[in-house]
Amino acid sequence: MNSLRIQAEDFDLAAEYQSLRQLSLAVGAVVTFTGLVRDFEGQGSIDSLSLQHYPGMTEKLLQEIVDQANSRWNLLGTSVIHRVGKLLPCDQIVFVGVASQHRADAFEAAQFVMDYLKTKATFWKKVEQDGQQYWVESKDSDQAASQRWANDD
Amino acid sequence: MVNLLFFGRLGDFAADVPASIEASTPAQIRELLAADFPALGAELHEPQVLVSVNQMIVSWNQKLAEGSEVAFLPPVTGG
Repeated sequence: MNSLRIQAEDFDLAAEYQSLRQLSLAVGAVVTFTGLVRDFEGQGSIDSLSLQHYPGMTEKLLQEIVDQANSRWNLLGTSVIHRVGKLLPCDQIVFVGVASQHRADAFEAAQFVMDYLKTKATFWKKVEQDGQQYWVESKDSDQAASQRWANDD
Repeated sequence: MVNLLFFGRLGDFAADVPASIEASTPAQIRELLAADFPALGAELHEPQVLVSVNQMIVSWNQKLAEGSEVAFLPPVTGG
């Protein structure tokens, strides 16, 4: 099972976990990651975050990432949810869940999907803070995290 | 004619850019835009900016077919 959703609505972590858990009796490990809206690097609290994406292309890129994860690890199911539109501090932004027989596959695949999502999927964040708006810059640390998997090829 | 899309910070520089343009490669689009919109031109010359045609990342010298969707993509910041 591979599930990809891009949506404005919030998601229910418990429900997503149950979907992965109940995929089959062979599931022995479920790893889930949830990304939240937080303050930005010591510049004080933000008012909101707006997520833009490239409809069509984003889905295609996420599918490629999930396909790669499935070819690298033995997975029984993956689920990716990314929210778009206006979000507030503490809101959930992104969910990655992976089910597998053994924990190493699920741990590594979940991290791989997040690392690739952050550096390859066509999403852009804009911050609103004290009446000002600015686009978030990409981080070298995210590139390095993603590059690590490429070096393993 | 090909259709143009600008994402992220590039959109802020492209508010007055026409929705479509006559050009044979993304590199040529970049030069045409730089002539009329120098700030956008400078942004498009940033080495991290990628270009896609019909939702596939391509080189700046990719030949464009009539009606293609050409998108300019700054570094992504999702997740």
